[in-house]
Amino acid sequence: MVGSKRSRKSSLAIRYIIAGVLLLVMVYPYLYMVLNSFADWTQVDRKLIPSSYTLKSYTWLFTGGETGITRPWLGAFVNSIIVSLLSTFLMMMFGVMVAYALSKLKWRGRDTVNNFILFHMFFPAIILLIPSFLIIQKLGWYDTYWALIIPKGVSLWAIFMYTNFFKAVPSVFIEAAKLDGARDFQILYKIMMPMSKSITSVVFLFLLMERWTELLWDMIMVRSDGMLTLNVLLSQMFGPYGSYPGPLYAGSVLLSLPIIILFIIFGKNFQKGMQVSLK
Amino acid sequence: MKENNNRLGWLFASPYLIYSLVFFLIPLVWSFYLSFTNWDLIAPEYDFVGFDNFAKALKSPGVHAAFWVTYKFMMVFVPLVIVLSLVVSVLVHSLPRLKSLFLIGFFLPYLSSGVVSALIVKGLLSFNSPVNTALRKIGINIDWLGTSWSALLIVGMIMAWKFTGYYALILTSGLESIDHEVYEAAAIDGVTGRQRFWKITLPLLYPALYTTLILAFGVTFGIFTEVYQLTGGGPNNATNTWQMEIYSQAFKNLQAGYASAVALLASVATFISIFIIRKLLEKWGARNGWV
Repeated sequence: MVGSKRSRKSSLAIRYIIAGVLLLVMVYPYLYMVLNSFADWTQVDRKLIPSSYTLKSYTWLFTGGETGITRPWLGAFVNSIIVSLLSTFLMMMFGVMVAYALSKLKWRGRDTVNNFILFHMFFPAIILLIPSFLIIQKLGWYDTYWALIIPKGVSLWAIFMYTNFFKAVPSVFIEAAKLDGARDFQILYKIMMPMSKSITSVVFLFLLMERWTELLWDMIMVRSDGMLTLNVLLSQMFGPYGSYPGPLYAGSVLLSLPIIILFIIFGKNFQKGMQVSLK
Repeated sequence: MKENNNRLGWLFASPYLIYSLVFFLIPLVWSFYLSFTNWDLIAPEYDFVGFDNFAKALKSPGVHAAFWVTYKFMMVFVPLVIVLSLVVSVLVHSLPRLKSLFLIGFFLPYLSSGVVSALIVKGLLSFNSPVNTALRKIGINIDWLGTSWSALLIVGMIMAWKFTGYYALILTSGLESIDHEVYEAAAIDGVTGRQRFWKITLPLLYPALYTTLILAFGVTFGIFTEVYQLTGGGPNNATNTWQMEIYSQAFKNLQAGYASAVALLASVATFISIFIIRKLLEKWGARNGWV
């Protein structure tokens, strides 16, 4: 084993380099997006790292430039925020409620509901798309926020995650609280929620990002310009802005902004929560 | 807990129950019903056409393409994403420092929008892009998204790019649950390096690997955004996934009845395929003595 210390050190350095290069390859495209959104228009999609920069893409995005047609980028951004936050809030709230019923309450029918959820989870969702569209129309929700929020207000995955997590919380806590006269809603919000902080941040981030980047549903359920979400608007502009890639990159940066912000806020909790939730 | 909370249980579960009635059970029945009609999504009237939609679907090139494209994607996406996420997790796991920073970095593509990823790839592969300019210099000139094989490959690679970080996280937590003493005991017996990976790490990692494999196979049945954005299912149906086919039939060609029949066929194909894949994976694990 002579010299093993040195070889271990150099192999560690090699591993860091490989991991770093791999990471760079995976993350570079997003850097490319940011750089191109600020790049001089003669250099957009021409260089890996542009050499001269301008804000033209951003001003063009909001004014429509020479086409003179402005698209509701800011409105769509606001729509996305409203829709994603409310949907995610409902998904978390209902997820916690249903999970509490499935893990900590005893009632006739619980096993049936549990099995039914499993069946529901593994059902290919695509078959539901067309009739869901029709139900939305029948409810009079077509082209409204309701269509974007309510049907996306329950997440089977969130129910599943919280159910598993709650099952691991000892019932002693709940019984003690009950002796102190706590009601079930209080137990849920004063005991169960604080105890599940670590997975809550993971569930929140996943649900929010999934909702933020949803395309098919948001595309089908609304029609008017004022109702579009940012993801759908960006998707629709692929064709019309075909010869203006700069503004498209600027729009993409706008769409990706929340991810970056969330990562900065949740980054620390994230790995811890991930570890808990994957076990 | 001796007391029964019948009323409370149903009350707490009610959000899910209402949701599954309105957005699962009713649409499910409705979908069966629609698949026997010739409804066009708009007109108030329609006729029952029996099994015509199914007969038509079974002969349609779009449906044939969707069926096969799914398995072609599988062959590109699953090996690529599994190898990449294994490499990432084993590599990152062996690093003493900056572990979470790396994992979060690799996870970034999973959180970003498919529309954005598609836009970036489209830009990187456009005719005058730095990538293609460099490739032309060495004599390679491919219309990446306009050629059948490369369009399929590119979409498969985008999906792998997206999911690698997510699966690496699952695998890393699998790696972290492996007891260190196992490795130490093995080292005493002289098991190191590559042998250690195949004989110890992989078998102990199998539960996490099984989860990732099932997730990865599942992904191939639900590809939409990337295809819709980049190729629209083309060229020549080469990337026409089930979701793409159903979307175009229902909302572009306005054949809701027919599209419902296609969706039903897609679900059957998905069900059977996933069932077979699960059985095969379990057999594979059992044969190697990993389960």
